[in-house]
Amino acid sequence: MLYDLRHADARLKWLVTCLLATFGLAYCFGAWMVGRYAGFGPKQVAATYAGPPMHMAMPPDTTVVVEHPLTMGQMAAEDHHVVDIDLLVQDTHVHVPMYGVIAALLSLVVLGLSLPRSAGFALITLLFAAPWLDFAGMWLVKLVSPAFAIVTVAGGWAMGLGYTIVTIIAVGQMWFGRKGAA
Amino acid sequence: MSRILYGALAALLLHVTPTVELVKHVDAVKQMFPAADAWFERELHLSGRDAHKLHEAMDWSPEDGVLRFYTGKHGGAAVGALVFVRVDTPHGPLEVAVGFANDGAVASVVVTKATVETKPWVLTALRAGLCDHYKGMRAGTVPQAAEQIRDAAGELPTYMATQIDKGVRRALTVYADFYK
Repeated sequence: MLYDLRHADARLKWLVTCLLATFGLAYCFGAWMVGRYAGFGPKQVAATYAGPPMHMAMPPDTTVVVEHPLTMGQMAAEDHHVVDIDLLVQDTHVHVPMYGVIAALLSLVVLGLSLPRSAGFALITLLFAAPWLDFAGMWLVKLVSPAFAIVTVAGGWAMGLGYTIVTIIAVGQMWFGRKGAA
Repeated sequence: MSRILYGALAALLLHVTPTVELVKHVDAVKQMFPAADAWFERELHLSGRDAHKLHEAMDWSPEDGVLRFYTGKHGGAAVGALVFVRVDTPHGPLEVAVGFANDGAVASVVVTKATVETKPWVLTALRAGLCDHYKGMRAGTVPQAAEQIRDAAGELPTYMATQIDKGVRRALTVYADFYK
């Protein structure tokens, strides 16, 4: 294959390095945002996307009044960021195409790496599967069961894993690898 | 399930922008009744009859048929109560916190949620002094604060102010009818 990042012009290597660094920065802020609004564990993810349980009970015969003390901590907990279905539609509409572009660009980097074909296929699959899992999990939590939060968590970590693997191998091969025969 | 599908369809068609939290509930509560040192949540699970009566009067029903009031106390004595009211506008949801003094008059109003699209209009309305016009209102008043800021705020902020008027009117009604 003619496209080999180990033997590429330094300008192309620099381009790929800058691209990976930019994605790395975006992922760091992405992780920060996830930490602030959703959390990294299945429990927090489920609370964010499942929303409050639906009350299907019949109304009482007479209006029932219940009063109890409330601390500021309990009130703050009620303020937990919840993604409703409108926002999830919006998020999916905005994020999925962008994730596709990111996965495609990282896959182009993978194509330029010296890897066995099976490893290339696996990495490209991982790069595209991660955002699919991420959003599939969110929708499954919303529509089916909070137990599917684990799918979103797995998708998020898979995204980070795919990026890390590509970056380590690419930087290693481009700047620190031995230049063997192409 | 059909509710979810209709919600998704409506969101796609109307392209409602995400909800933005302008003021956290905790901060709104502290801001409205800074003297309170203890809080109590009063939940009213409305009977079918009361829920119907409210819907007839306001064309509105609280989420899950439950009204929630928060009573602030200082040294065991009530200093006031507040309620959060959601208004669904064609541009997405809006949430208003309305605080009442012990005599039943509106003490203060804080807009706690808007959407990405409506936030600038709401902020313009608030800067025009919208919430000052609600102070002292009592049950039976039909809030028309939006008209008071029309000249200063412009068309879209005034439109959002009419939605805030609607939220305050709901709060006045439920406070008078259900907070005992």
